[in-house]
Amino acid sequence: MLCRYSLDVQRGELVHVGGPASQGLLLVELSREITQLGAHPLIRPTLPSAHELALRVGTKEQLEYISPLEWHETEAPTKFLSVWADTNTRYLSAVPNGNQGVRRAAYQPLRKRIFARLGSGEAQWCGVSMPTEAFAQEAGMAYADFEEFVFGAGHLDDPDPVAAWRAVSERQQKVIDRLDGVAELRFVAEDTDLTVNVAGRTWMNADGHQNFPDGEIYTSPDETATKGHVSFSFDAAYDGHLVEGVRLWFEDGRVVREQARRGESFLREMLEMDDGARLLGEVAFGLNPEIQRATRNIAFDEKIGGTFHVALGAAFPECGGTNESALHWDMVCDLRVGGEVFADGELLMRNGALV
Amino acid sequence: MSDPRIERLARVATDYSLEVAEGELVVIQGPALAEPLLVELTRAVLNAGAHPRLRVTVPGVEHAFLSEAADEQLGYLPPFALEELDAIDCRIVVSASANTREMSAIDPAKLRVRSEASKPVMERFMERSAAGDLRWLVTAYPCDAFAQDADLSLPAYEDFVFKAGWLHLDDPVAAWRSFSEKLHLVAERLGEVRELRVVAEGTDLTVGVAGRTWIPADGDRNFPDGEVFTGPEETKTRGEVRFSYPAIFGGREVDDVRLRFEDGRVVASEAASGQDLLREMLAIDEGAAVLGEFAIGTNYNVEQFTKQILFDEKIGGTFHMAVGAGYPETGSTNHSGLHWDMVCDLRDGGEIYADGELIYREGRFAPSFAPDLTPPSS
Repeated sequence: MLCRYSLDVQRGELVHVGGPASQGLLLVELSREITQLGAHPLIRPTLPSAHELALRVGTKEQLEYISPLEWHETEAPTKFLSVWADTNTRYLSAVPNGNQGVRRAAYQPLRKRIFARLGSGEAQWCGVSMPTEAFAQEAGMAYADFEEFVFGAGHLDDPDPVAAWRAVSERQQKVIDRLDGVAELRFVAEDTDLTVNVAGRTWMNADGHQNFPDGEIYTSPDETATKGHVSFSFDAAYDGHLVEGVRLWFEDGRVVREQARRGESFLREMLEMDDGARLLGEVAFGLNPEIQRATRNIAFDEKIGGTFHVALGAAFPECGGTNESALHWDMVCDLRVGGEVFADGELLMRNGALV
Repeated sequence: MSDPRIERLARVATDYSLEVAEGELVVIQGPALAEPLLVELTRAVLNAGAHPRLRVTVPGVEHAFLSEAADEQLGYLPPFALEELDAIDCRIVVSASANTREMSAIDPAKLRVRSEASKPVMERFMERSAAGDLRWLVTAYPCDAFAQDADLSLPAYEDFVFKAGWLHLDDPVAAWRSFSEKLHLVAERLGEVRELRVVAEGTDLTVGVAGRTWIPADGDRNFPDGEVFTGPEETKTRGEVRFSYPAIFGGREVDDVRLRFEDGRVVASEAASGQDLLREMLAIDEGAAVLGEFAIGTNYNVEQFTKQILFDEKIGGTFHMAVGAGYPETGSTNHSGLHWDMVCDLRDGGEIYADGELIYREGRFAPSFAPDLTPPSS
């Protein structure tokens, strides 16, 4: 599924696979599959323990250093696969916040280069979420139930998952067709009345090619037009830090006031990271009906059918977004109970469903 | 809680073996199952002010690739392979395995295509290493698969590995420095010798070493270490040798190897098992039947044969030699696609004569020839 559908791996391509060494069985199968397709696997297992250590004890010079190895592996592959499979979602919690900020800012050129290569279509990337005990624990579920949830969200229990995703793609395209030409979107829900401008921006159909599981449509809004306020329904985790009850107020595109029930200082620190961190880089609709519950894992939560989400920070150039930031923090708002979305003043969605 | 001996191993590797300096790029490669050592090496490199980058492997990935790959894939190198090598200041290879027989069913022809393809990288590596631009170290992490090959439990094998590196000592670096000085003296003395004759059960072998350089292996490229080696004259080796330990090649064992040399070349070879492999390898090219290395193992904390050449060739009281490629820095001119080390015990009645004079018996250098190389016991 990942190699043939999501990444569409072609003969002769260099395919970079990054993921924790604990996902050995998946990495072996990916190595086999990529090789069978006539491509060249570049399997890069990671050790979270060593990563954490380097972030925690590294000096400023060490945190900021980008080696030629990183550049080579950014430039050469045409397909990238990231495996998300934490064995402990809090494994970075002892790393001083400042250190992560230093690393993130220093690595911005690498990130920009990747985004540019992805945006131009020269390379393709997919992030895949795997079931782990840690993710299950975070979701408050047994592993067996979580595994079922993950595979269900990916239509892997369907006899023909590729056909299922093609159907998803068509369904989502219809929503995009209705949004094309829309200039202003207004989201009204509990403690939320937010207006974004998307005139001239391109909506992307996230149908299993960039994330797996997937199921959303997204764009980057006009950087200077966002106004109003939004209250996020689900906990927003970033780099292992959990922030609850986030409320944001926007004026002329910029967050002018922020509040959180828990983790407010971390939220503020992230917003102060750079110029672009207070602007929206993304607005999106979660459209995966198989995902109904929040799991405190953004890779799933942002796809919950009947939600919308926005991301503070980096925008997608391929959508027409121009905002630059080392931050890209998604926060999700539920529309399923009483939520309404207006497109240029006309009701588009009520209770999370299209009208 | 990590074994303090692992931290010591990491510190010896960065501070003594490689002398990692501030700002250097240090690649650490090894299997994920060596995680405790990989993490401690990361810490030691960071402490040195350098930049560690991990290259982790997991079992099965390479096997899956080799099983499925066509020639064009086996022959592929990423476009940055050479540039990447040029960027690295130090490379640490941690040897460990989940299963030492993982590749036993892989067609050797595939492995040949693969090693042929990586030849430019190998050559650049040797060039940079010879020029001193790239320092490298091979070390080992005690794992079940190696323990199993050594007929040991894991805890017993851990003791073996750490004792071999003298890591049970409070200050292993001091012990290695003192050993290094003595080993340099041994290498100097051997450098004055023209001809060595080794006598043991089933062995009476003469090698010419005139004008060749002896290298004291004191932990700078292997850890644990402890040997002196040279590349013998290519046309002088004569006589017979019988190896007390099995010769291991690509996970396969050849038992009771006996070789007869004339004018530097193997002219007869026999083995109790694996004789076909032995003869096949000796015939792969011109240089394969000629010695590329002659060496004396001098780590007296390595006492038993464990089927890992990193340790076996260092056993104090043994000698080993390799048929095939020699190291140019010793003066060797022998070229071959082969470099196969075989080890022979000298602790039970073995003798070495240097230009007719007895310099070594029962696994020890004569006190008149060289200082005692035994490491401190505590």
